[in-house]
Amino acid sequence: MKSLRRDFSSNPQAANVSSKIFVRSTKSGKVQKIVRELYLRQDIPCSSKLCSTCPSVAPADANGNIAPFVLSDKPAGTAAFPQGHYLVPDTNALLNGMDLFEHTGAFYDVIILQTVLEELKNQSLPLYNRLLSLIKTDEKRFYLFFNEFRLETHVRRGPEESINDRNDRAVRTVAKWYSEHLRVAAKRKKEKALPVIVMITDDKGSLQKAKQEDVTALSLADYVSGLEDSDRLLDMINEAREARDTKDARGQLFYPEYYSMSKLMTGLRAGTLHQGVFSVSPYNYLEGSVNVTAFDKPLLILGRDNSNRAIAGDVVVIEVLPKDQWKSPSTKIVDEEAVTRNDNPDTEDTEPVVTDRERKALQEEARKAHGKNSEGQPQPTARVVGVIKRNWRQYVGHVDSGSTGVQASSGRRQQNVFVLPMDKKVPKIRVRTRQAGDLLGQRILVTIDAWDRDSRYPTGHFIRSLGELETKGAETEALLLEYDVQYKPFPKVVLDCLPPQGHDWKVPASKEDIGWKGRRDLRDLLICSIDPPGCQDIDDALHARPLPNGNFEVGVHIADVSHFVKPNNAMDLEASLRGTTVYLVDKRIDMLPHLLGTDLCSLKPYVERYAFSVLWEMTPNAEVVSADFTKSVIRSREAFSYEQAQLRIDDKSQNDELTQSMRTLLHMSKILRQKRMDAGALNLASPEVRIETDNDEVGDPLTDVKTKAMLETNSLVEEFMLHANITVAAKIYSAFSQTALLRRHATPPPQNFEELINQLAKKRNMELDVSSSRALADSLDRCVDAKNPFFNTLVRILATRCMTSAEYFSAGAHAESEFRHYGLASPIYTHFTSPIRRYADLMVHRQLASAIGYEGEDGRATLEGITTRNRLEDICRNINYRHRNGQFAGRASIEYYVGQALKARGEKLAADGIDTGIDEEGYVMRVFENGVVVFVPRFGIEGVVRLEDFVLPGESAVRSVEDRRELAIRRETEFDREEYTLQVSEKGHPEKERGVTIELFQKVQVNVSSIKEEGRGAGKRRVRILVTGAGK
Amino acid sequence: MSARQASSASQTPHLSPAELSYIYTSLSLPNTPIRPDGRSSTQFRPLTAETDILPGTNGSARIGFADGTQAIVGVKAEVEKTVVAADALDLRSISRQAQGESLARESSEEKESGGAGEDGTATGQGSWVQMSIEIPGFRDDDALPVFLAEMMREPLVGSVSGGSGKGEDGEMAGGLKGRLVINRRWHWRLYIDVLLLSQPLSYPLPLLSLTTHLALLSTKLPKLKSQGEEDPFFDDDWAAAEYLYPRTRTTINTPKPPSQNVRPPITLLILSAGENIIFDPSREEIAVADSVLAVSITRDSESDGLKLLSIRTVDPPSRLTQPGVANSDNVAPLGSTGAAEEASLQHPSVGGEEEMAGVWRPRRGGVKRGVIARIVKMVLKKGGVGEEVLEGLEGVEVG
Repeated sequence: MKSLRRDFSSNPQAANVSSKIFVRSTKSGKVQKIVRELYLRQDIPCSSKLCSTCPSVAPADANGNIAPFVLSDKPAGTAAFPQGHYLVPDTNALLNGMDLFEHTGAFYDVIILQTVLEELKNQSLPLYNRLLSLIKTDEKRFYLFFNEFRLETHVRRGPEESINDRNDRAVRTVAKWYSEHLRVAAKRKKEKALPVIVMITDDKGSLQKAKQEDVTALSLADYVSGLEDSDRLLDMINEAREARDTKDARGQLFYPEYYSMSKLMTGLRAGTLHQGVFSVSPYNYLEGSVNVTAFDKPLLILGRDNSNRAIAGDVVVIEVLPKDQWKSPSTKIVDEEAVTRNDNPDTEDTEPVVTDRERKALQEEARKAHGKNSEGQPQPTARVVGVIKRNWRQYVGHVDSGSTGVQASSGRRQQNVFVLPMDKKVPKIRVRTRQAGDLLGQRILVTIDAWDRDSRYPTGHFIRSLGELETKGAETEALLLEYDVQYKPFPKVVLDCLPPQGHDWKVPASKEDIGWKGRRDLRDLLICSIDPPGCQDIDDALHARPLPNGNFEVGVHIADVSHFVKPNNAMDLEASLRGTTVYLVDKRIDMLPHLLGTDLCSLKPYVERYAFSVLWEMTPNAEVVSADFTKSVIRSREAFSYEQAQLRIDDKSQNDELTQSMRTLLHMSKILRQKRMDAGALNLASPEVRIETDNDEVGDPLTDVKTKAMLETNSLVEEFMLHANITVAAKIYSAFSQTALLRRHATPPPQNFEELINQLAKKRNMELDVSSSRALADSLDRCVDAKNPFFNTLVRILATRCMTSAEYFSAGAHAESEFRHYGLASPIYTHFTSPIRRYADLMVHRQLASAIGYEGEDGRATLEGITTRNRLEDICRNINYRHRNGQFAGRASIEYYVGQALKARGEKLAADGIDTGIDEEGYVMRVFENGVVVFVPRFGIEGVVRLEDFVLPGESAVRSVEDRRELAIRRETEFDREEYTLQVSEKGHPEKERGVTIELFQKVQVNVSSIKEEGRGAGKRRVRILVTGAGK
Repeated sequence: MSARQASSASQTPHLSPAELSYIYTSLSLPNTPIRPDGRSSTQFRPLTAETDILPGTNGSARIGFADGTQAIVGVKAEVEKTVVAADALDLRSISRQAQGESLARESSEEKESGGAGEDGTATGQGSWVQMSIEIPGFRDDDALPVFLAEMMREPLVGSVSGGSGKGEDGEMAGGLKGRLVINRRWHWRLYIDVLLLSQPLSYPLPLLSLTTHLALLSTKLPKLKSQGEEDPFFDDDWAAAEYLYPRTRTTINTPKPPSQNVRPPITLLILSAGENIIFDPSREEIAVADSVLAVSITRDSESDGLKLLSIRTVDPPSRLTQPGVANSDNVAPLGSTGAAEEASLQHPSVGGEEEMAGVWRPRRGGVKRGVIARIVKMVLKKGGVGEEVLEGLEGVEVG
């Protein structure tokens, strides 16, 4: 028998067709062989401005334009390549050195291969996204070269060739092709002047082959060494890979291995394993928890070996431990810094992962409580068996001075140091650096690269320094980075979207103008705005006027931001990314460019402005007769601060129309508020203080710290805004049943309140009824302690913490019964009234405009409101995240300010004599075995009071650090888990009297000061609270 | 149509009784049959073959005979959950997981229990292989395609499974269906689509069988990354995919280790004419055959030799041909053939029993034992026809 095979060699077309074959596993379990045919072309440009041929062949778009060429004709040179060079990195180079490529000091003119980009996407999505944004920016001149589609650079995988080898070969092929192509096609014929194509790879095999193939190739480290400032740049290389190579031999494994992906999937499907987000207790770094759908309460994860290299925020897979290992949650404050203070970053000694000290800390809490109440019962515990997704980000921290070793400042030797992240929930990170000495006392940004089984702490690398600790610039940037706030100035493309007239923009004078189309002229109405003092971005204004039939017309007018921000342009995308304006004590990070936020959109007094108005006809009893929505033009008569408005209303002598209408509004707002309260709206409290920084510098900065005063006018504005939001929510939901952007506050599950109910019952004999928001509101009202007026607020703060946070969602994502806003007791709610500072409101504006059939200037506004549900859900996810982070950042900023104010005061007093701190009242929020958490309303801060910070009767409040450390050992405690009391006394002190007993909710006298955390040099500052007396 | 369906072996060629008689006579010449196309009795028609012609399939092949008949075969594989009462096992393995025992221990235990319990679920079912045959001019529920499909599927599924359950390599045991087992809860399902591109000029079984064989040889399954009883999880690199029938990359002359030797079965069409045995018959040859046999063979894992899977007789069309009329019997040499027919119908026994040179008699009766024995020997013996065919197909560059 004889067989023949068809021969393709004579087919001239065969070389132009190639294919890519891979296996795809679908979610449903199907396994498919996928074949992608590639038709190779020769018109993909090299994109070098030196090239004379590519511009003529490059494909043009529909308008006949070709994409501008990216790579500079005069690329920067280095010592090794004085004639300039283009870089061609391979995937590993990007994985190890993405921070370098983002660095502004070097790494220009980089050719990114499609092969590399795809490989990077498979290995690390965050890095892929960062690379994409690098390619998008013009400044760095990164060019994405589609090498797989170009005939000359396409590489067919050989038999027995691994994918990696093939991709490495592709990179070399491109490097080679580029040099040859430029030699032929460059306008300048002098070969010496042509830029060198430098391939960057860390793969030894590839380096060697490059040498054989006559391709210039360098390892990342070698290349960086040739640059200026190489010490700093070298630190930015990912250490993990290098370390892995050298550490292979050392078999000390601290952590159990993760299950294989297929085992995890099998377990998840079978329901034996669970998936959830890993979170860490703020009081005890060894205690984590994971909320999974299968259980009502989060599962506890105790100890390092159980949390198995998970870091707060990671999506992990956990396995429930057998019942005999169930434990009760910890009643102890455990601080990583205190426990592991003496670890040496250089030696990965033979100590087990749970050190003796950690074990001891755990042991005590692991003591099974035999209590009767729910708090003491052992709870299910679990261990982490796999990680689905790492959510590592960049962390702000500082170098632990204790870890730098003696030769800290001597020379440029590379050494290991620990970086303590600002976020207490993140373990310390081991970083290799050559600049340990310089970094001491600096706020630095680091990232985690890996956490291997053989390393007790994650390893990472240094990215950049933000500046010295405690300087305003560094700390502010640290805050913004830590809360992922986009604070870079608006790029030019965004600013290009602003109206060209700039500040001279005016509402068109002629009503014939296209701008007036579909707008109602409301300039006659007596509209005014009421805002906090000094407010520049005025979102909202109000009016009320009597109607002939005895009813009132009430209007809420909101800045018409959607007129200026058109969907899907650069400004809109930037705003949707930022999501919200973030207010720090001394800084505002705008969502929209300044021009819009504070001028064109802002409803400033005395000028005409576009607005979006909600008009109601209301009876004098604030019953809504009808509601109307319209785009409008208004002219605000006055911009009041809350205080001014209050004064004006109270001033009997003022009887002009504007004042009258404000009185009407106030009257109605009170009725509306009462109605809301009757419906069961909660009056919640958050521990907020306000900082007014406009005071003169010389005064005591602490006087700027003010608790928020509530005036009637505050609630006036609030009520009408709530009312407008609710009205608009109903309207857009009726128009877009799937895609309306709404806001909901889920009813908290009753078990969230369990602990608080218990505590109240035990300590105050009070009851909290959480069966409905109405019941909760009423029972909160009853939680009053006659002797302690703040007690009620304290309970409200604690109750608020038991609830879930409100969230944006698209109407299709939940059933209508789930739309409820629990806190406001409204069946439906959205955000409409602050489009200048919240992106959600802007979206709602577009939806409302579309719902009322407003066509806009170009007749396209009706389409603008319509978004697909998927897109909307993406937006919701982002703005929920930004919103939350924005709030955290604001709070952290205030906290930092208070700390700084205390420090400034302390320093001033220290000059006079001694820093005695400030005596204030505080309230005990939580009791632990070895300390309490005290809330100080005056400054809106809460802090942990450790044993050594209790001032026993007869002791002096002022002590040195050494004294305190010594004291901590001598302290004796008696903790009663069920009574929530903690008795602190001195060991072996003759007088039994000399001790204090602290209990939950107790009002205590505290002394607040800002102190340096000494003993660890670097001088991290914290607010110390001393309990000086158990004042009743 | 009904006649065609009744005759399972393709259309009767339009040959006159005299032509039939001539062909039969040359084929049955003692020891040296003369075939119409001049081949020797064991010689196959030349063919062109190539594999992997359909990139979207797991394996594919095309074979074309010189007479213009062509077939392509595509093999697709899909992962499927095994429905057979595996629940009990399932629960056991899962509860074991819950107790947090190590993976290694689990899989080793499974091996033990698999060895002890054996075969209940480990070998798989014949229904995991689906074959469909399309022949131009036939509906897919016509007798020919259905019969052909079953004739090829049966040996495929059953191949090797018979006595080799205790093969030294557990995975090799159980024939194709055993090979499709991923673990107790999952298996591969194979879809074999056979397409005859040309008219069935000759009985298409050999062509289709050879093409299917070649397609299966080139079939690859994604490489499994998960272990034991986990939900299957595969390597996404197609180049890492593994052959359904593992092969060594050796030159043709070096012997292969036995475990690499398992091959999909082939079905050969063999006819006997007189004492002669003729392989790969053409249409004309079939038309005069005494008997036609479809012999399925495969290469076993244990021995290097071949193994007989099945022998089927195929109803040869020669039975339906018109008999020739001897001159002596011709009542009216110049006229009415009708009378002659009548005569033969009236006295069929007379015409059938007397073998007269040059006068065609439709074949009657079965196959002789001796002939079958010789056929089997010719096919299976070392260096015999079966080996030659398999080696020839092996020679086709796969991949």
